[in-house]
Amino acid sequence: MASLSLKDICKVYPNGFQAVKNFNMEIEDKEFIIFVGPSGCGKSTTLRMIAGLEDISSGEFRIDGVLMNDVEPKDRDIAMVFQNYALYPHMTVYDNMAFGLKLRKVPKDEIDKAVREAAKILDLTQLLDRKPKALSGGQRQRVAMGRAIVRSPKVFLMDEPLSNLDAKLRVQMRTEIAKLHQRLGTTIIYVTHDQTEAMTLGSRIVVMKDGIVQQIDSPQNLYDNPANLFVAGFMGSPQMNFIEAKVKVSGQSASLLIEDQEIVLPADKAKAVIAGGYDGKTVIMGIRPENIIEADGSEAYRFKSTVNVYELLGAEVFLYFDLTGANITARVEPTTKVRPGDTVTYTFDTKKIHIFDKETEVTIVN
Amino acid sequence: MVSAQILRSCLNELRDITRVEFCLQDSQGGVVTATSGAVKSEPRLVTALSASMVDSQVVGNTYMLKVLDEDEVAFILSATGSSDSVFMVARMAVSELQHMIAAYKERYDRHNFFQDLLLDNLLLVDVANRARKLHIAEIQPRAIILFEVEADDSQLVRQLLSGIFTTQNGDYLSEVEQGGVILVKSLESNTDTAGLEQAAETAIDMLNMEAMVRARAAFGSIVMELKDLSKSYKEARMALEVGKIFYAERNLTDYNRLGIGRLIYQLPTGLCRIFIREIFGANEEMAFDPEVVATVTTFFENNLNVSETARRLFIHRNTLVYRIEKLQKDTGLDIRRFDDALILQVALMVSSYVRYKSAN
Repeated sequence: MASLSLKDICKVYPNGFQAVKNFNMEIEDKEFIIFVGPSGCGKSTTLRMIAGLEDISSGEFRIDGVLMNDVEPKDRDIAMVFQNYALYPHMTVYDNMAFGLKLRKVPKDEIDKAVREAAKILDLTQLLDRKPKALSGGQRQRVAMGRAIVRSPKVFLMDEPLSNLDAKLRVQMRTEIAKLHQRLGTTIIYVTHDQTEAMTLGSRIVVMKDGIVQQIDSPQNLYDNPANLFVAGFMGSPQMNFIEAKVKVSGQSASLLIEDQEIVLPADKAKAVIAGGYDGKTVIMGIRPENIIEADGSEAYRFKSTVNVYELLGAEVFLYFDLTGANITARVEPTTKVRPGDTVTYTFDTKKIHIFDKETEVTIVN
Repeated sequence: MVSAQILRSCLNELRDITRVEFCLQDSQGGVVTATSGAVKSEPRLVTALSASMVDSQVVGNTYMLKVLDEDEVAFILSATGSSDSVFMVARMAVSELQHMIAAYKERYDRHNFFQDLLLDNLLLVDVANRARKLHIAEIQPRAIILFEVEADDSQLVRQLLSGIFTTQNGDYLSEVEQGGVILVKSLESNTDTAGLEQAAETAIDMLNMEAMVRARAAFGSIVMELKDLSKSYKEARMALEVGKIFYAERNLTDYNRLGIGRLIYQLPTGLCRIFIREIFGANEEMAFDPEVVATVTTFFENNLNVSETARRLFIHRNTLVYRIEKLQKDTGLDIRRFDDALILQVALMVSSYVRYKSAN
């Protein structure tokens, strides 16, 4: 049971490198928080500051209201699962899970209880006598997690724990981790650069770039209402399409001009664009691949492009084409007859258009 | 010599299995260790047995046996029990203790051997001879990984690392100085630097996860011959130092990728001070001013792009230009010009180096 508070947390290395800038967040008990962002964005550094493995240059970090800045890692009541883990090759699964507790001189009966409970949670009871070489990749990963679970910590910190696994196993383990969170009911902070992992696991996601928090929100809100161009592009696969457009305002209505077509914006979006004083300015329009629709001729505007690439993924098809120099991806039904070289006529779901300031890259309206 | 604690643990385990009580005494009759219900033999009997030609003796229901170390009496073991098999159990215990003493000595010898080897305290001919005696392959790809941990309990760190890097795999752990653990890592013939890096990263992550200690590591080049291990050790030591001074944000440093830090590290500090005075004049502290360092570092990170740097620093473009111009006034260097930017970056690194050297 733990709530965490991070206030104005900064990390500056002696050589001046600023890894994390003004990180602010309140984490409630039992939340599953994901730190996501490209490599070098400061997500692992933040996690390591929470663990106590890096000094906090400035700011305050508290667990359950207690200031933790100067508390030793071992006294913070946290457990970590990192990307690189090794099982002790000459020890059984039981001993592997018990080793950390033995090092801490925990009484034997307590160790036994903790290991057996963790093994039950992780479905490893039948494997306790096996050596690591007799385990599959997924089972080894579960043993590594077991070593963290036996400590019964207040908080779990996981730094890309699945990145060394193959794609199939990663999906399987993702589900296991989600189940584990439900069973343990503990606060988990999980670092990943994989936005699919972030979207599927997190109760809230922290998107970071260049050491700065870009947005903290639920997966759905991040997807539907990104705070800026970076978040919009980072969350979602394939990523959101971005097209430069000129704003035209007439009275209370506003539209976006792309090529010779005029996209009339819905009232709420028009209002935001007009209020921002964007008349005559160039903005960036964002549209998700699933919001690009094949035109049937009845639309007020439509575009024509030649399909460059056709990708069949079974349940869906991605079509790649160009529009005013931008590479566009559309997600369509697998029944489509369109193939590379064909010309497609398409339109956008205007209600799902996102508009971003070209200079600041901040969202004008979602 | 093997510690009394280890001997006690061994005898207690044997007692738990066999129900025979043991008392281990030195050749003068002093008790080294004993199980809880053991009966101590009289010192005069112990001394007499030590001096006699026989291997064992029975006094009442106690069996007394010699424990030998290279044909010399190391201990006298007294075994007491009610069953008929006490003597057999006592002989097995003696065998166990003798092997333990031999194994410990061999390990201790290995420890000394590696310490002498790494510190260049051995003649080439001795390296070959002692390696052969200790069953250590002379030709084998190896490298030194040096760990520095911020922990009071280096024993815990060693225990953890020895769990991952086992002697069965040809790895060996040693300590030459306090706070540092040296791993002699044996490698497969096809292992490259990436494999070595992976092993070191895994060890650091394990120290973080299991021992919950902060750790840094560095590794030297891969060497083929045992005699060259000291070279790899020296490289790893240098890499660890250079990493701490110039690349504090990394917790693992590869000797072969030290960048410009390698050059600066080898400069005489006197020369460095002259250079710092030349650049900063009387304002030497400027090199450590957080605002200056943050501005300059971010400016370099963003390829000398003023707008992007201002955005990253959350300051107005004009504020950044003001800071850059102030720096120019103080140092004569306009960091918007590549040549000047390069000089300032080197000057900042040299300042860090001199400060580190002064502090250590």
